[in-house]
Amino acid sequence: MILEEVSVMDDKEKTKKWSSERSIPEAQEVKEILSVVSSEVPALIKGLVASVFSEEAGRSMGKGAAAYYKSLKEGGLPEDVAVRMTEDYVRTFTSFGEVFKNIGHVRKHRHEENEDLRENLRKSEDDEEEEDEES
Amino acid sequence: MLSARFAVSAILVSAPRLARMAFSMVWIGVTLGRRVRRARRAFEKQLIAEGMSNEDAKRISTFYEELKDNIVQLSMHGVSLRNRI
Repeated sequence: MILEEVSVMDDKEKTKKWSSERSIPEAQEVKEILSVVSSEVPALIKGLVASVFSEEAGRSMGKGAAAYYKSLKEGGLPEDVAVRMTEDYVRTFTSFGEVFKNIGHVRKHRHEENEDLRENLRKSEDDEEEEDEES
Repeated sequence: MLSARFAVSAILVSAPRLARMAFSMVWIGVTLGRRVRRARRAFEKQLIAEGMSNEDAKRISTFYEELKDNIVQLSMHGVSLRNRI
């Protein structure tokens, strides 16, 4: 009996010691991870934003659209048609944004489907329990 | 006890870095409008240089605003979906 108590106390002490030793490295790990994340993630987002929304990016995109418009005009298309076609050409860039938006909708839809499945599962489990109780 | 102590120490250790990251994200959001305006202006200039009217160039360049709205909406949607899960 005494031996058992001693061994339980040893285990408790070991756990306590392990916990205190373990908590410091874990906090340090979190600190290291966050130091990388806090510097890398904003830089990554800033780079992504700058690649689309900057004067340089606007100029190069404008050059592409202007060259397209010019070639349409030189091809003999009327002004309004050339403008409309250039607008459609430029809208393809916005459609990339739409694609991302749709990805978000798909995720939302999947989440709702999962919720429905969980609900159905819960209901079927409740029904089974009720049947068991009746029998 | 361990998890509570760990949580407190993790929060204390990571608070400055999280604050820095939050500030960077807010700053990106604040400067986004200015970046969009600059990009739009540069885009319009190129079209006008090729002989397009000002009105048409301005109308076409509205896609920048739509793109910005899409990206902002997507990021907000992502955050809200994560919160719901």
